[in-house]
Amino acid sequence: MAERGFLLASLLLFCCLAGTCYGIVLFSSLPRTLVVTASPSQGQVLVGGEDKITVTWGVNQSLPAGTDSAYKTIKVKFCYAPISQVDRTWRKTVDNIGKDKTCQFQIVAKPYDASNKTVQSFELTVERDVPSATYFVRAYAYNSENVEVGYGQTTDAHKTTNLFEVQSITGRHVSLDIAAVCFSAFSVVSLLGFFVAEKRRAKRSQ
Amino acid sequence: MEEETQPRKFALPVDSEHKSTEFRIFSVAAPHMRAFHLSWISFLACFVSSFAAPPLLPIIRDNLNLTSTDIGNAGIASVSGAVFARVAMGSACDMFGPRLASASLILLTAPAVFFTSIVSSPTSFLLVRFFTGFSLATFVSTQFWMSSMFSAPVVGSANGFSGGWGNLGGGATQLIMPIVFALIRDIGAVKFTAWRIAFFIPALFQTLSAFAVLILGQDMPDGNFYGLQKSGEKAKDKFSWVFYYGITNYRGWILALTYGYCFGVELTIDNIIAEYFYDRFNLKLHTAGLIAASFGLANLFSRPAGGFISDAMAKRFGMRGRLWALWVTQMIGGVLCLLLGRVSSLSASIVVMVAFSLFVQAACGLTFGVVPFVSRRSLGVVSGMTGGGGNVGAVLTQLIFFRGSRYSKETGITLMGVMIICCTLPLCLIYFPQWGGMFCGPSTKTHATEEEYYMSEWKSNEKEKGFHLPSLKFAENSVSERGRKEDSATRPSDEASPAHV
Repeated sequence: MAERGFLLASLLLFCCLAGTCYGIVLFSSLPRTLVVTASPSQGQVLVGGEDKITVTWGVNQSLPAGTDSAYKTIKVKFCYAPISQVDRTWRKTVDNIGKDKTCQFQIVAKPYDASNKTVQSFELTVERDVPSATYFVRAYAYNSENVEVGYGQTTDAHKTTNLFEVQSITGRHVSLDIAAVCFSAFSVVSLLGFFVAEKRRAKRSQ
Repeated sequence: MEEETQPRKFALPVDSEHKSTEFRIFSVAAPHMRAFHLSWISFLACFVSSFAAPPLLPIIRDNLNLTSTDIGNAGIASVSGAVFARVAMGSACDMFGPRLASASLILLTAPAVFFTSIVSSPTSFLLVRFFTGFSLATFVSTQFWMSSMFSAPVVGSANGFSGGWGNLGGGATQLIMPIVFALIRDIGAVKFTAWRIAFFIPALFQTLSAFAVLILGQDMPDGNFYGLQKSGEKAKDKFSWVFYYGITNYRGWILALTYGYCFGVELTIDNIIAEYFYDRFNLKLHTAGLIAASFGLANLFSRPAGGFISDAMAKRFGMRGRLWALWVTQMIGGVLCLLLGRVSSLSASIVVMVAFSLFVQAACGLTFGVVPFVSRRSLGVVSGMTGGGGNVGAVLTQLIFFRGSRYSKETGITLMGVMIICCTLPLCLIYFPQWGGMFCGPSTKTHATEEEYYMSEWKSNEKEKGFHLPSLKFAENSVSERGRKEDSATRPSDEASPAHV
């Protein structure tokens, strides 16, 4: 059993290293070794700038020891759910992690200590300008060369469960609304003013 | 020549219509060069506003939750409004003069740019881009104004410089808007607010340029339409006839079609090229934006070069030279477009794209070396039709080749090049009895004169009242379109009409 585990671990390590030899890490090659949870429940809406999100992560204890020996940093990110990727090529999921656009917003990056087996957690107030969309949370584990070597996520492999929404600010302000209306009215009224002045000038010169 | 109510002194040499016969680009002398500077600046402001959204789309699409389809539709909307606005603007120029017509349009579309700051949905985004795009009709008033202020030997250059320098707003905005946005964001605004504030810049620029046109500008060398109409120097024309003589001139329709495949293609490229470089060569967004900007910025010299070449060809070969130069230039542009979709390395793509921009924009300048001569009475309507045709070309090419996923962008670009080549061929059909066409020389019949051509736009009862006199003066001045080789002794020359008042 221990030999099989060791073989599996070294095979995985080899695959990861082989991938990184060419500089390309494929998501499909990453082992799902982290257990990640997030505080929002399925379908909950978080308001940007106000609501908090708590994320926890840790290595799956049922995996053989030594799986996480290479992990140096953990980065936890907001990732778009498929429904928010429809007809939006700038959020596309591709296997090559370097080109993947699924996870664009980082929640936290923390160093990882393999000897410390406790589950880490972090609480964050959702930024105001995280776009309004449906998300899940994913954590990537990086080795000392800053290459992805493992991951975990709050949803299943098909990204259908445990999805939550974020609502960003609109960016609009009352002062902007008023300014826009005033300047627009000014443009139109000044045009009428010019017409009137023009007519009067032509009449006077006759 | 005959005197007006009082003798006028102009800073530049003028012809019998008081149009300037020289184009001095660094002068601001009223009324001619001042009109030039006012027209290109106000037109530039409209281009900056109309294409202010594309460079900020990465922010806007997240703020408004836009899809690729929403963005594509908004892009098509931004150029489709001007199709009819340009024809309407042409008629408005004929009726009210370019100064009032353009300033009115600019001030009436400025609210759309201000309201861009407060949109909150894909629909409202599409609507503001649609209405902002109407301002592109100022192109017509620009060309009309230049054709009213500058004489035949320099009208191509004047049109080319004013059109080109205005068009470069489409490139300048790709640089200006990201800088303004970054400044505002660094001052402390959240990015979803910063882009909204940024839109006040093009909006204010547009409003101020309209004020400048109204305060400092003048429709014609002798004054404004309104004043001239009141004093009787300029007759108020009947819209129905102006429109009729414009739309029944087949040359206007041919130029409308071919303009769609130089200017229309230019607008399409403005909308898609940044994305093309970003996706195909995996460039950073601001690098792709820089390349996109260079396409539009080439207008600084390429479109004026087209106008200048048109005038140079006319000096030697007359109107036939103008037509040949236009056809050859636009054909080469089509071939380069075809090539652009086929090359697969980044450096080759950039080289081909720059060459493509030079030829396609020069073709735009060359087109408006021909347009002023198609009609005198209905100059505005013909300019409007041609300009509108340009936008139709933009709508068509985006709809056929760049919407949805039927063609990859590179295939779309290649097919667009093929369409350019096909749709440029009708230029061969343009024929002026007094000057000839591409393949036929001028007619040797006695009535094939400039006077006859331009007088055919007036009815006899109008001629009795003397409404046709400006056209007559233009006809005399346009004899230069025969070219230098013409031996005027062997061709019927214009007889000075004894009816000059």
